[in-house]
Amino acid sequence: MSGHLVDLFGGSNAIAVFLITIINFILRGIGSLPLFGFLNPLADWLGTEPVVTSIAWLIAITIMITWAAALHLLTFIWLERKLVARLQDRRGPMITLRKDRYIGGTGYLQQIADALKLIQKENITPKAADPWMFHIAPAFLISTTIVVLVALPFSEGFVVANVPAGLLFILAAFSLAPLAILLAGWAQNNKYAMIGGMRAAAMMMSYEIPMILAVIAVVVLAGSLNPIEIVNQQSQLSILAPLAAIGIANWYIIPQFLGFFIFLLAMLAEQERIPFDFPEAEEEVVHGWLVEYGGMRFGMVYGFKWLRTFVAAALVALLFLGGWHGPVLPQEIWFILKIYFVFFIFIWISWSVPRIRIDQILNIGWRKLIPLGLFNIFLAVLVVHANAQGWI
Amino acid sequence: MVDALQFVFLVIAAVEVLTAVLVVTAKKLMWAAFWLALSLVTMAGIYLLFQSEFVGIIQIFIYAGAVPVVFLFGIMLTRTRAMEDVP
Repeated sequence: MSGHLVDLFGGSNAIAVFLITIINFILRGIGSLPLFGFLNPLADWLGTEPVVTSIAWLIAITIMITWAAALHLLTFIWLERKLVARLQDRRGPMITLRKDRYIGGTGYLQQIADALKLIQKENITPKAADPWMFHIAPAFLISTTIVVLVALPFSEGFVVANVPAGLLFILAAFSLAPLAILLAGWAQNNKYAMIGGMRAAAMMMSYEIPMILAVIAVVVLAGSLNPIEIVNQQSQLSILAPLAAIGIANWYIIPQFLGFFIFLLAMLAEQERIPFDFPEAEEEVVHGWLVEYGGMRFGMVYGFKWLRTFVAAALVALLFLGGWHGPVLPQEIWFILKIYFVFFIFIWISWSVPRIRIDQILNIGWRKLIPLGLFNIFLAVLVVHANAQGWI
Repeated sequence: MVDALQFVFLVIAAVEVLTAVLVVTAKKLMWAAFWLALSLVTMAGIYLLFQSEFVGIIQIFIYAGAVPVVFLFGIMLTRTRAMEDVP
């Protein structure tokens, strides 16, 4: 197990101290002039401990949002387009800045072109819609996803806040979205949007319980709700030590394969990907709850899906694939590699299978996944007990 | 003299009381459910402020994630007209 590259809070603290030193230098320079003496107490206040810490927090959160919601969101959208094009025997987006290399372009600029196009469009509010809710619901949706990034660690150092019950916080914030989707569907006052919102809420009731059951099994094995502690448990060789010989040590995918399967299905449903995308099925309900949104508001509610994909892939890697545990390379690189691997599995599944019906997800959720999840918890308790007794 | 923690508490409490009043006075039932969700989330904020993280997170989990969805379902299943005609 190698070390981590980034110490997010320490780095942010250093940046904050550096910025405040520069600002104080300027302020004291001006404050030495006759009329501007009132600036000196301001400079003193800026140098005190609580102010430095608050600014360091702000910088840490900004770095985290830029890292996840700008860099990886754009890469995910680009990668999905390219991989889907490959699966469908097309080339996908190919926009580049150089006109002469039109055929060989990577197409990474396509997202930026799309965003520029959407920003220029008019923000249309339908006449029959509830205007306030229509505009609040996307913000609600996106803020509940972005707040997840506060507790989501990318390595031992690359985390904004190391919360004791961080996993619970992530799942709680993650499960707020169906409420926002239902409200968004209602506010548009359109029957397709309404049906989409109802479908999202009905689907949430069927996948949320198996997801929590799968997480409970992991928590039983790890004995902690802290994501960093769960990953550390997976890097130790306590449970199932014989499997350490084949190199993947103690990742929870080995004792918890059933849980991994359930969690993967629940995460596919959480992102409304294709086997479970009936809230926005374009053939049935013309994009469901997104139907009345236009311009950048549509871009936001449509693009946030990849942020949820990113968080979902990170959660799968964190809980079942050993997080940032791996040989030689630094922790961050391992974690990002695993996230992209899980993302590739998501794309592969979602563009290879047809959509299921709304009554089928209720059947799958309630009659198959919940009993499997309970059995999975039994398995986890068995493994912990066997380990405590020294049987394995 | 009010310190920072007290100030934050007062702000959260004010938001909570305001949203609780709006739950009762809202004209549309969907808005009432939305204000209820907001009121319960601010209550979780008060729990977090008093250093009981677990209760706060469970509050968000259950009373903000699950209960309002059930309420909205209930509202939509009753005979009140959830959608309005175009004027």
